Amino acid sequence: MELLRSRRFIGIILILLGLIALPYWASRYWILLVLLFSLNLALSQMWNLLAGYSGLISLGQQAFIGLGGYALAVFSVYYGFPIWLSIILGGTVSVLFALLISAPIFRMRGVYFAIGTWTVAETLRILFSNWKYVGYGMGLFVKPTYALSFNTIYFTALGAGVASVALVYFLLRSKLGLGLMAIRDEETASETLGVDIFRCKLCCFLISAGVTGAVSGVMYLHHIFIQPYSAFGIDWTVQMVFITIIGGIGTIEGPIIGSFLYVFLHQWLSEYPNVSLLILGSIAIGAILIAPKGIMGTVQEKLGFEFLSPRRK
Amino acid sequence: MAKPLLRVQHIEVFYHDFHALWDVSLEVEKGLVVSIIGANGAGKSTLLNTIAGVLRPSSGIIEFDHKRIDGWMPYQMVAEGISMVPEGRRIFPRLTVLENLEMGCYVPKARQKRDQVLKKIYELFPILEKRKNQFSITLSGGEQQMLAIGRALMSQPRLILLDEISLGLAPLVIKNIYQTVKQIHSEGISALLVEQDIQRSLKACHKVYVMQSGKIRLEGRPGELSQEDIRKAYFGV
Repeated sequence: MELLRSRRFIGIILILLGLIALPYWASRYWILLVLLFSLNLALSQMWNLLAGYSGLISLGQQAFIGLGGYALAVFSVYYGFPIWLSIILGGTVSVLFALLISAPIFRMRGVYFAIGTWTVAETLRILFSNWKYVGYGMGLFVKPTYALSFNTIYFTALGAGVASVALVYFLLRSKLGLGLMAIRDEETASETLGVDIFRCKLCCFLISAGVTGAVSGVMYLHHIFIQPYSAFGIDWTVQMVFITIIGGIGTIEGPIIGSFLYVFLHQWLSEYPNVSLLILGSIAIGAILIAPKGIMGTVQEKLGFEFLSPRRK
Repeated sequence: MAKPLLRVQHIEVFYHDFHALWDVSLEVEKGLVVSIIGANGAGKSTLLNTIAGVLRPSSGIIEFDHKRIDGWMPYQMVAEGISMVPEGRRIFPRLTVLENLEMGCYVPKARQKRDQVLKKIYELFPILEKRKNQFSITLSGGEQQMLAIGRALMSQPRLILLDEISLGLAPLVIKNIYQTVKQIHSEGISALLVEQDIQRSLKACHKVYVMQSGKIRLEGRPGELSQEDIRKAYFGV
């Protein structure tokens, strides 16, 4: 076990070193692919934390994408704050906003929670597209990011992807994680044992909002341009759902595998723009029918193999 | 009689419009095993869930060690020293045995003596130590029941609520489980026991309450009540 664990550890280090060294040997196309992979990974890992581990099926993660992106634009363009500070502020704004909406939103459960979060995001979209300060529907141009090199953005995105996996891993090994897994198994029993269900779920909701907001800032370093209809669009969350479900909801490895597949499918399907969504949709339906636990969930079930196990031994 | 540790006075409990408990009063003295018997739907589990804080009484008082605790959240109850073995065991199937036990001392106050208590529980149920890294869904019914009891003991309760711990188990296993109830009692932990098996229950307890249709119909020491009285109260004739 020790040997396996150390071998595993060396494997992870090697892959990371390979990815860090990528800009020095790979073509720009490959770097771009890994950049997109990392961003998708970070975002979907946060959705996984919500839906897979806390049972909060949110369809409103785009609210935090928009807030994070707009925070980056507003703070760096209007106030001249450093870019990195603006990104962190984006995360902070997202957490505060999540806290604000948590009181009414946590009164809803299941499908109502999903619709509730979606409604919040839609409201923000309408608000931002009618707000003069942020340039109405035309949006904002994040000019200061021109000063950044492509490699810098790549490293930041890679860092965000790795950090999101590490965060969820250590979170699940913590007491909060044990509580979450217990709630997932037996909600009433966990409550009688002293788990404060509301606080556990709120904690995850805030963490996921904060990280999504900050990662969105990194993403808009790459996109450069933010506009309410796309920033607050549900497409973001649909993408996270797709990645997490294909890869395996409720597993740490799921979003990694899902993002990998998604990025390649997306590149490949962009050659067939009129049917690409149809194909993605069919794949999602197929996965739900054949392997409802996703790739990683099925592998775990059949082979008992876990690469990043949050288990306590 | 010893001083009451738990005192439930005139509580009424509703599930929305349904009136589940009517003016229920009960006392559990320090260090005693008290049992509640009654048919299906008599309100036994409702009563336990109310004491554990899962349900709230709409009126009435619940006191634990002279402190008013009605309306408290379940986690506050655990910290105060009340823990429950829920009906149907309700272990966490996808957690390991050890993780299930860890869940028992989730509340910070219960966590302080974690290692000591864990050792004691392994002494009480050696099988749990053997299986500690197994997923708890792989345990047999009796082992799962032991795990549920062990989990409730992890928080070092002063009062343990046992809801139908013999449900669905083989007679020999039931005997074993009741042996451990005796052991728990000898550690000075009070117990409130809900049971459908009247004979088993009468043998294990110092005081019995008979419930029917959400009301307490009869109370007394097992030796003092006649079979006839219990039968009448049980069926409500």
